[in-house]
Amino acid sequence: MKEITAIILMSISIIVPVLAQQSEQDITTVQPRVRFAPLYIYLDSGNKSLAAYQFELKAAAGQIKIVGVEGGQHKAFKEAPYYDPAALANDRIIIAAFNTGSELPKGRTRIATIHLQIIGDAEPDYELKLTVAADADAKEIPAKISFEKGERK
Amino acid sequence: MTEKKGHFDEDLELRVSPKLSEDLNALFKPQFSVPPELDRAIMDRANQRLVQRHWRHRIFHHISIWRIAAAAAVIIFAFSLNLTQKHGPSTSRTVLVKAQAVDIDRNGRVDILDAFKLARLIESAESTDKSLSPVSSTEQALRKQGWDINGDGLVDRNDVDLVALSAVRLDKNKGVL
Repeated sequence: MKEITAIILMSISIIVPVLAQQSEQDITTVQPRVRFAPLYIYLDSGNKSLAAYQFELKAAAGQIKIVGVEGGQHKAFKEAPYYDPAALANDRIIIAAFNTGSELPKGRTRIATIHLQIIGDAEPDYELKLTVAADADAKEIPAKISFEKGERK
Repeated sequence: MTEKKGHFDEDLELRVSPKLSEDLNALFKPQFSVPPELDRAIMDRANQRLVQRHWRHRIFHHISIWRIAAAAAVIIFAFSLNLTQKHGPSTSRTVLVKAQAVDIDRNGRVDILDAFKLARLIESAESTDKSLSPVSSTEQALRKQGWDINGDGLVDRNDVDLVALSAVRLDKNKGVL
């Protein structure tokens, strides 16, 4: 009798998690739609040349995942900037870049493009904070950071 | 025909004669008699042993089933916790810890300006020591400052990259915004 009880308990302990996992999978298949969109980051350094920058982005509302990071518009920042690879598949990222050359952008320029996966129908909102911007002499300069939402795919 | 039949065993006389039986009994008869108490004690002992073995077997069998059930439950629980889930790639922690200790401009924080300043120092060292030996005096000075982050004996772009990666590390500035 006890053997039968043990067998029944064992069967339950195997079947229940499998069923639970299956139902979880069913839920994920019913989950809201997923879309991809780029987020363009701009920095306005006024009449000063921009040689280095660092900023942090995170989702303030909505559910996003960072899927890729691209360099900027000007050739001084064309290469992919520095970022922690752990930020991918996350909703927060710190991005930074510098250029020791003499050809540097001035005014408003696109410094990076962040590719996002947006989960659900809610329009995400972002918090963007400029940590530092510097000129060719590595001196901090006042600058204004902003973003533009790209076309959805 | 009759001659042939005589060879079969079934036709042989198999009965033992009373004389032979008597002789055999006399030959193999025990020298002493076993008291019935001893006989009974031996039987009891044997019975006890058999019963013990039976119960031991049953208990072992019972316990092993519970062990299997418990092991299965533990394995399933571990799987339900999704322990196999891998975390995203991350830069080498030991190297980053070292990079974190390097605050090039000594302003109390490691940011991209530290990497930028180190890159500028390396570039200026390279331009002034172009014609000199591979281990120039400027490079030695840079090393003395402790800016050979990866410990490869050179202060170069790899060290700059480590400082920059340390600046953008996520777990460094948790809750900055």
